[in-house]
Amino acid sequence: MAEIVLKVKNLTKKFGEFTAVDDISFFLKEGEVLGLLGPNGAGKTTTIQMLLGVMESTSGDIVYFGKQFKKHREEILQLVNFSSTYISLPWHFTVLEILNIFAMLYQIPDKNKRIEKLLREFELDHMVKKQFFMLSEGEKTRLLLTKSFLNYPKILLLDEPTASLDPEIAVKIRNFLKKEKREYNVSMLFTSHNMAEVEEMCDRVIIIQKGKVTIEDTPENLTKQISTCKLELKIIKDNKRVLAFFEEKEIPFRSDRHNFTIVLDERNIADFLMLLASEKIDYEEISINKPDLEDVFLDIIRREKNDEPS
Amino acid sequence: MFYWPAMDLFIWGLTGLYLATLSNNSKELIFVILNGLVFWIIIWRAQYEINVNILSEMWDKNLVNVVASPLTIWEWITSLIIVGFIKMIISLSFSAIIAFIFYQYNIFMFGLQLLPITIGLLLFGWSAGFIVAGFIVRYGIKIQTAAWTGVALIAPFSALYYPLSILPNWAQKIALVLPPSHIFEGMRDVLFKGYFPAEKLFIGFALNIPYLLLSLWFFVFMFNKSKKIGLGRLI
Repeated sequence: MAEIVLKVKNLTKKFGEFTAVDDISFFLKEGEVLGLLGPNGAGKTTTIQMLLGVMESTSGDIVYFGKQFKKHREEILQLVNFSSTYISLPWHFTVLEILNIFAMLYQIPDKNKRIEKLLREFELDHMVKKQFFMLSEGEKTRLLLTKSFLNYPKILLLDEPTASLDPEIAVKIRNFLKKEKREYNVSMLFTSHNMAEVEEMCDRVIIIQKGKVTIEDTPENLTKQISTCKLELKIIKDNKRVLAFFEEKEIPFRSDRHNFTIVLDERNIADFLMLLASEKIDYEEISINKPDLEDVFLDIIRREKNDEPS
Repeated sequence: MFYWPAMDLFIWGLTGLYLATLSNNSKELIFVILNGLVFWIIIWRAQYEINVNILSEMWDKNLVNVVASPLTIWEWITSLIIVGFIKMIISLSFSAIIAFIFYQYNIFMFGLQLLPITIGLLLFGWSAGFIVAGFIVRYGIKIQTAAWTGVALIAPFSALYYPLSILPNWAQKIALVLPPSHIFEGMRDVLFKGYFPAEKLFIGFALNIPYLLLSLWFFVFMFNKSKKIGLGRLI
């Protein structure tokens, strides 16, 4: 069984009367990628700031590798690193200077070799003499990621690591992250607004709403929570008759000329198609879209707005 | 490091030369002005470098990278001091060379006392720097002008160009608790009497120690206070 490398217990952060993070508990196992999701203002950034030690918690415990973060800060941060799209690096320093500075901060023993290897991996080796402000947004993000891998981290906190990257580089980065996870058992705490990415990368997901952890599960199980799916039909002939039929049978649908979208329970698809056949309604094309993490997330946000239980 | 010290030395040095032609004590008069200009650089540069280095981390949105690294706050403080010290030495040397070339003002006239004078002023510059840095790390770039103006508040009470006795009574009381005023008074004694009174150097040092300790405590206190709200907001 994989060892727990990060344990967050009853973590709370209050700003006066406002509770930004409300008694949350979760864990991260060795080699696991845990997604931290939630709408804006849910408490994700506050949680990450506390995990990095740049914000003090009001109460609760953060335990890395079985050691209290407050008591063993330097020792722990030697094994942890992070990357965020919301931070930057010294603007007038070159790529190589920046990596050298951080390699010294993290006391990397074989720093030149490590820097060379990472520069190749992140395709930055041809721009070592470029100053940070001269890099494109994508190159800046890649340099931040390079920095985050410098110290052979055992835990990586990644706050939207592939935002602002073009799709090709984003795929490469995801593959690199997967490779590091596979080869070195790196554990990752991952936030992203790209739900497809979260689904691809994360072994487990926790959803924070109004400072509380409301859901904790695998992406697969979360998508199973929504039993409905979208059935899309392209119907060319007898559109008027089809519309009248759906209305008569009170079937919820959306239509856009020849395209009909019907949201229905997965188990009722066969019956619905048989019903269409019995009515002699012919369709040219059919596609069944199962719910993905984005649907789950949107459903949660909708329920939060309507104050419904999750 | 070079522009403002050079401009100050040219403008005020030439002004001093002009005033000297109107006075009998010509050499001492210009030396008093140059003395204030050259040695004020120590205090100003020591304070400024600490503050601007912290501000740079905020301007570059790099503060979280630094604070979330294994670097301890005392290592950070030490690095700020070292970088500031190197830049101060460069700036002081440059100003001293200009003052010597253009006005024959030689900072080595203070002999071996040059070392305790420099250290005394440097310690006070660091104290001022860490007090201002405490506010910067708490309130962020919205108070960044303090990096340029902070120590200037103390200049009128530091007896840079004039003796303490010139100050009004209430200002003299403030000046007496500031280390630079004692050091600059002592330096003027070298110019006019030919010796540096040991007691002035001693008082300067004795005052410097609590100032430095207090400023370091204040910086760490404000840093921790800021951490409660989250240092991430400062980037």
